Amino acid sequence: MQSMQATLGTPTSSALSRFSTSTQDKSSTAGQTSSTGPQPSRPSIIPPPSKSKGWSTGASGGRMRRIIAEDPEWSLAIVPLLTELCIQHIVENFQNNPILQQLLPEHKQKVLDHLSPDLPLAVTANLIDDESYWRRCCTQRWPVCHVAKHGGSWKRMFFERHLENLLKHFIPSTTDPALILDLLPLCRNEVRRLRVDQFLPPMKLPPRPRSGELSDSGSEGEVEEPTPDHYQLGDLVAGLSHLEELDLVYGVKDCGMNFEWNLFLFTYRDCHSLAATIKACHTLKIFRLTRSKVDDDKARVLIRSLLDHPALEELDLSHNLVGDRGARAAAKLLSHSRLRVLNLANNQVRALGAQSLAHALAHNTNLISLNLRLNCIEDEGGQALAHALQTNRCLTTLHLGGNELSEPTATLLSQVLAVNTTLTGINLSCNHIGLDGGKQLLEGMSDNRTLLEFDLRLSDVAQESEYLIGQALCANREAARQRAPNPSCFLSPITAKGPENPAG
Amino acid sequence: MNPPGPLGALEKEEEHSSTPILGPSIHSDNPRERIQARRLRIAARLEARRREALGEYLDGKKESEEDQSKSYKQKEESRLKLAKLLLCGTELVTNIQVAADIREIHRRVEEGEIRRQRLEKLENEVKTSQDKFDEITMKWEEGKRKRIPQDLWDMLNTQQVHCAGLIEDKNKLISELQQELKTKDDQYVKDLKKQSDDICLLLERMEEQVKNVMKTFRQELNSIEKAFEAERRELLTSNKKKWERALQAHNAKELEYLLSRIKKVEDYEKQLNKQRVWDCEEYNTIKIKLEQDVQILEQQLQQMKATYQLNQEKLEYNFQVLKKRDEESVVIKSQQKRKISRLHDILNNLRSKYTRQIRQFEEENQSLTSDYIRLVTQFKELQKAMRHFALLDDKRFREIWLMNEEEAKDLISKAFDVDRIIHTQHLGLPWTAPDFWFLRNVGPISQQQQRSATQILEEVLIQTEEEGMEEATSETESYLDLPKQVSMKTTRKILMLLCDESGFLIESKLLSLLCPLEKSECYLLKLDAIFSALGIESEDDLYKLVNFFLKYRVHHSPSSQERTSPMSALDPGEQTDLERQKEGSLVGGEPEEKEVPSSPTLIHPNDVLKILEAFVMGLRKPRDPPAPVKVVKYVRDTSKDSAYWEALATVLPYATQNLWDALYTALEKYHLVLTQRAKLLIENNSLEKQNTELQMLLQQYLDSKINSELHVPPTQVLRAPTK
Repeated sequence: MQSMQATLGTPTSSALSRFSTSTQDKSSTAGQTSSTGPQPSRPSIIPPPSKSKGWSTGASGGRMRRIIAEDPEWSLAIVPLLTELCIQHIVENFQNNPILQQLLPEHKQKVLDHLSPDLPLAVTANLIDDESYWRRCCTQRWPVCHVAKHGGSWKRMFFERHLENLLKHFIPSTTDPALILDLLPLCRNEVRRLRVDQFLPPMKLPPRPRSGELSDSGSEGEVEEPTPDHYQLGDLVAGLSHLEELDLVYGVKDCGMNFEWNLFLFTYRDCHSLAATIKACHTLKIFRLTRSKVDDDKARVLIRSLLDHPALEELDLSHNLVGDRGARAAAKLLSHSRLRVLNLANNQVRALGAQSLAHALAHNTNLISLNLRLNCIEDEGGQALAHALQTNRCLTTLHLGGNELSEPTATLLSQVLAVNTTLTGINLSCNHIGLDGGKQLLEGMSDNRTLLEFDLRLSDVAQESEYLIGQALCANREAARQRAPNPSCFLSPITAKGPENPAG
Repeated sequence: MNPPGPLGALEKEEEHSSTPILGPSIHSDNPRERIQARRLRIAARLEARRREALGEYLDGKKESEEDQSKSYKQKEESRLKLAKLLLCGTELVTNIQVAADIREIHRRVEEGEIRRQRLEKLENEVKTSQDKFDEITMKWEEGKRKRIPQDLWDMLNTQQVHCAGLIEDKNKLISELQQELKTKDDQYVKDLKKQSDDICLLLERMEEQVKNVMKTFRQELNSIEKAFEAERRELLTSNKKKWERALQAHNAKELEYLLSRIKKVEDYEKQLNKQRVWDCEEYNTIKIKLEQDVQILEQQLQQMKATYQLNQEKLEYNFQVLKKRDEESVVIKSQQKRKISRLHDILNNLRSKYTRQIRQFEEENQSLTSDYIRLVTQFKELQKAMRHFALLDDKRFREIWLMNEEEAKDLISKAFDVDRIIHTQHLGLPWTAPDFWFLRNVGPISQQQQRSATQILEEVLIQTEEEGMEEATSETESYLDLPKQVSMKTTRKILMLLCDESGFLIESKLLSLLCPLEKSECYLLKLDAIFSALGIESEDDLYKLVNFFLKYRVHHSPSSQERTSPMSALDPGEQTDLERQKEGSLVGGEPEEKEVPSSPTLIHPNDVLKILEAFVMGLRKPRDPPAPVKVVKYVRDTSKDSAYWEALATVLPYATQNLWDALYTALEKYHLVLTQRAKLLIENNSLEKQNTELQMLLQQYLDSKINSELHVPPTQVLRAPTK
């Protein structure tokens, strides 16, 4: 039918021309008739009218029409629409001439579906917001994509992981810093989280043999005159206007047997520049610096820069070398910010640091979670914390696993359990609570109705009391489930366990 | 089903925690496996116990929630089971972490211990080696002093041995340390291996956990679904049963209804038949009756038709008549219409005229009112003028009167003089001057006017004062002023009393003004103020007041009457006055006044106020009505005037006139005679004079020269006739 109309529209187009012209031409004529309305704006596609006129004047119409009608092979199905062709063209030339916003929604979608994920970011970054395109980009680059960890946005995920990748493989004084800074204007609005678990040290090919020559036991500091500073994040972070989370590890992954101490060197310059960076970043909410050999002095430098930070909510300095002085600085930070989560797991905090933390905790109203796993606060620190918990009305989870705690702390904690109504999770695993301490804790638990998690594994507590405490916890969980109006409380224990797991 | 998030996180955390632990622990395998085995055992036991407890718990719950549906129960059960499973699973997984933790702690403790030992050992070694070194260096000193080469050789040998020992010690230490380092390295490798084993185990467990959880979740889901299905089936069967039961009941009822309906139908049919028969009969009877009726009605119809015809004719006639009338009435109507229109025109005309007239009249009215106002003002002015002229006329009249009277009196006096002269000189008769009332009259004759109270007062006061000086002379005159009232003195006394007692009626300002004045004047002004306050205006009022006082005296103290009468006897003038007053009071219609014999001196000053009050109360009533009478002007009475003038004219009686006439004629005659005599005398005198003159002239002429010159001069001739 359409063909008839087309032929009627150009009645004099000859059979010769019909046969000689390629499918492209046919489609162009068809497109001319079918898409006069929708896309008049594309100059490259509209066929010159003179040409069609040439056809129209070419031959007699009657014969031609009969031939078309009798042509069994000719069908419109194999002729792509002009729009298709246009879209194809746009897709092909997108890099040079990116046309997207002017298109109709359906065509836009088609263009996006056909765009190659390998297009340079400079073209696509600010032009394309479509998730499906970025999804393709992500899935093409990385086999495992966890979009939920990036706020459900594929674009954000792409840029965040891209940036992380670049940072991971950045070698100072070898890689061009412009490589990262060029990306900055493209991703400044997308990146909210930076999670870099590796910072490569500068290349040191010349000193390496020397160090090998000198001695096996020689210390690194003497050998290398230029300090092995890592990439300075200052410029990058200052450019990212929505950065909320910064998760850094100054170390090298997968070194295997090539292990060398100076691969894991968080220098003072790194520390100072990082401190200045996080101080300048007012949107930062979560700051993690783990496994980076942060000692007391560096921790103090960092924490000093975080005092009175407007947005910071979580500080994670786990698996470092923070001692009592660093803990004291963290305690000061507690009273000078709105910190909600503090993680000092696997550090060298001892009784003094724990006491200062306890002092800050006693009147704090922001902190929700405190993790002091694998420190050595011992009974003095544990007692101080227990005392603080008697007045604190905010802390919900406390991890004191592996802290050489024993019975005196347990007695105090049992008193706290009877009084405190905000704590929902306590972890006392890997301590020396002892049989009596377990009994006292059980007594304390008998008066508590809010605690949901209480880990006493490997803490020399009698099985009976541990079992009874578990019963009490079960009852508490049931009560909490019934208190919560959420109908999907089915998984409540799991979700309740959620925050505990990463802490452990 | 189990969200992979937490597990993934867990995995990561495991990596986290495992990587920094670098140093391998010494007793790696055994304790860990031991611990794990123990933990697993414990966990299994715990789980078993918990299951028991939960079963009990569920049993307890079942009882309480029997009303809940099976599916709900199943759901709850599954939920608890799964929660437990998850809890146990995660515990199982985290157990590895905890184990790693405790291993790390142990390692740290051991490491600390070993480090301490090592340090101690090193220190000891340093000390001993230092001692040895010191010994060796001392021996070097010793060796320097040795002279004997043998000794020196021995010493050197021993020294060498010592040094070798020292070096050997050091080397041993170094090798020990290197050995340790090697073992550490081995341990590091082992640790790495173990950690990877751990991680593998963790992963295994996690996978197992995931599998388990998935399986159980699936199972639970299946069981829940089964429960739901069972419940649904149950529900379905129960509903079906219910439905069938209901259907059966419905069918039974339907049947019942059908039977009853059939019965009813039969009943109704019978009834219908009966009814039909009855109806037929009734119908027939009614039909007959109705036919009869129809016949009657047809008859009636015929009659009616006849009457109708009649009526029609009548009506036609009437119609004709009416038509005609209608025509007439149309004509009349048109006429009336025309008339109406005409009348309308007229009405309109009249209306317009009326309005015009109203306007006109209004204008006129306005002009007239303005005229009226003007006239009133004019009239008022005229009245004023008239009053003025009346006054003027009065004055002029009085003046003319006086003038005329004076003239007349002059004339009369002249006449009397003449008469007296005539009588005394001509007739020689004694002449007495006639005494007539009108001769004493001065000014126009008039009634006594009402004088104001103050005037009277003034008079009274003045007169009484004068009385004091010349009692006798003025007494007669004073009677004229107070014709019918009490005597001057009593009046004065009363007034003085009044003036003294009722000072409160006078304004204080006035009193202060009166201070410097004379006593009488002061009294006068005071009394004036008091009278204005009391409302006493006219003479009558004043007299009434005085009388009232007297009356009061009599009325309230009859006992004092005896005393007053001698008092009144003392004053005869007063007595007479009283007599006259009695007459006056008779005329005034106040009989009580007759008894007034008062002597005002005896009125107690304290009573004055009471009297005044009573008087004022009494005065109010009669005083009101006569007020408008005052408007009427006093009209002069001219009746006596002519008589007066007549009397003046005829002051000389006719007899005297006649006498005078006679005398006049006689005197005329006498006069005539006398005049003749006078003439004659004059003639005589002139003649004598002429005579003398002529004699003189003659003498002159006779003496002059001319006469001598002329015998007859013309002057002599002329003079002669003029003389």
